[in-house]
Amino acid sequence: MVFEREQLLKHVISDVLETMFFSMVEFGECGQGDQCFDYGSEIHLLTHSGRTAISLRVSEEFARMITANFLGVEENQVNDDDMEDSLKELANMVAGGYHARVKEAGWRLGIPRVWKIGPESMDAAQRAAELGFAFLGEPAGSAVVDYLPA
Amino acid sequence: MSYNVLIVDDSRSMRKVMLKTLQISGFLLGECLEASNGLEALEILEGKWIDLILADVHMPVMDGIGFIKCLRDKDICRDTPVVFVTTEANEDRLNQLMNLGASGYIRKPFRPEEIRALLCRIMGETDGFRTGTTVETCDF
Repeated sequence: MVFEREQLLKHVISDVLETMFFSMVEFGECGQGDQCFDYGSEIHLLTHSGRTAISLRVSEEFARMITANFLGVEENQVNDDDMEDSLKELANMVAGGYHARVKEAGWRLGIPRVWKIGPESMDAAQRAAELGFAFLGEPAGSAVVDYLPA
Repeated sequence: MSYNVLIVDDSRSMRKVMLKTLQISGFLLGECLEASNGLEALEILEGKWIDLILADVHMPVMDGIGFIKCLRDKDICRDTPVVFVTTEANEDRLNQLMNLGASGYIRKPFRPEEIRALLCRIMGETDGFRTGTTVETCDF
């Protein structure tokens, strides 16, 4: 990932997770590409010249915790729909924050999607490009931003 | 006096968070109604008195821009403040919302203090909030 985009993504993810999900994460020096996570979420920023795709992957444990924080409930009260909804909101806010800082005109946010993932869902090249983050020293998730020309 | 609020957002989680934010901000909340898009919100507004509308921009069926256009075109709730709570960062689109009559907007992620400050400005510190309350705890 290009350095500037990586720094921007780190800043936005930290801001969103701290402000709305009351969770502080630490970013790794390099991606945690060989780590298997349980949920994926993705959103596209659409412009005339192409799409910027922001993808997040998180562990189920982390997804459950941030969902509970977001909703103000206990983790055992969180169900799959809650987690899906919260992960969509997370992707939405990260994408909105990312593009607010890029300050490029003429774009719109796509619809976020969330899915359960397995280790086979992503190829090695994409994994290597990921930015990993940890919560209390444990791998919690990863993020990647890609520009896809029209 | 308490105020009836309509929260319009396609995310059930976000609607819950908005409600909790209003509660902890000291807003004099009466009844709180929810809609998952602009069209549902219009149906609610036909039969219910609402003092404040908090709406998302990006929603299926009818988005925030379509919703406020409908409100203004049909002269529904002419004096009811409409505040958008959104991830939208496109200045043109935000200006469009303001030109269509939005009372303000708040960008997500937000802090309860930001919601309170904006609503104080729109609803009035003494009218819309319990006297002397501040946002002291943000643990939803």
